[in-house]
This record gives sequence, C-alpha cells and structure tokens, in this order.
Amino acid sequence: MILGRVVGQVWATRKCRRLEGQKLLLVQPLCWHLPDHETDHVVAVDPVGAEVGQDVVICMGTPARLALGDTRFPVEASVAAIVDDVEMWEGRLQRPVNGSGQSGGAR
Amino acid sequence: MIRGVVIGEVWATRKNPALQGRKLLLVSQLSVHMDGTRHFTGRVIVAMDNLDADVGQEVVVAFGSGARNAIEPGSRSVLVDAAVVQVIDGSST
Repeated sequence: MILGRVVGQVWATRKCRRLEGQKLLLVQPLCWHLPDHETDHVVAVDPVGAEVGQDVVICMGTPARLALGDTRFPVEASVAAIVDDVEMWEGRLQRPVNGSGQSGGAR
Repeated sequence: MIRGVVIGEVWATRKNPALQGRKLLLVSQLSVHMDGTRHFTGRVIVAMDNLDADVGQEVVVAFGSGARNAIEPGSRSVLVDAAVVQVIDGSST
C-alpha cells in the first residue's frame, strides 16, 4: 500500500463495462523525500468515497480488485482507507539523511 | 522484500471493512551499503503489521501474495499488498 493525496477526479464516458459506476480518482503519492513533480500520479478506483484534498491509503494489484469485491475487475489500484491521521516519529521525515550513516534510527 | 524503518502509524476511520482492526504502519525503505552507511531511498510504503512493530524499529516488509500469507496464510480476502514479516534485532551491516 502507499499513502497518497487525492488531487482530482477522472471522468470517462467510453470505458470498460466493468468500470461503469466506479469513481476514478487521481492520486499523488506522498513521498517526503522527492519534489512533488518527481512522483507519478496514480489513477485509483474509489469504493470508499474519498474527496479531493483527502489523504488515502491505496492498495495495488490483487487486493485492489478484492476491494471491489471481485478479482475480475480491470483495476490495479484502489482506495482502501481514508486517512484520519498519521502519527509520525518526531523529526524523521523532516530531516531525511542521505548516505551519512546517521539515518538508522533504530539503534 | 525490503528493509525499512517504521516512521509512523496510519489511522483511518472510513475504510474497507476488510481492513477493520488491522494496524497500518508507515515504513521508509532503507538502503544499507557494504561499508555500513545507510540512507533512506525515498520510498515510503504503508505496510500491515501483526508483529507489533514500534515506531523507530527496523523491519522487513514483504509484498504481494507473500504479504497476504504473512497476515493470513492462504487467504485471498485480506486487503493487503505489503506486510511486516520481521522485526530486525540486529544485522551484520
């Protein structure tokens, strides 16, 4: 799974029949170490009901299809949860360390 | 599988019922070099955890059906594509 922010919605008239009635969201993966423009957006089906601006957990592959109730959906990413809160380890993401040998943290 | 550090925990109220009661951790992938230096690769993933890993601990995360097997062996109904499979006590690098 990945954490992402819903940045838009995708509308389509002509689509695979199994996608009819499904809401498609444009999700930007949240990656603290990279500038925004360096992360690829993901189009995810949304059975949960997320809105633009919310943070979501996206699952990929087979679980994404399971989330829709059937493994035969032509889908590879879907919203599994809408994030209320992320409890962070203090300072860990504010100060990413690159190759200095200090970023182990656990010990 | 990848090696990473648990950097946070994700809380969600509105979610797929299959995720009910499951703990979701935010794991930052760690790259460890031969000389012992380590750095975050920048890849941050959400992994399901039933080993009770704590924030700050180093873990091994498995993906795909391996992750599903770690949570519920043989199951195809658990909504998981990444799971904590080991909490690292120590390693040679």
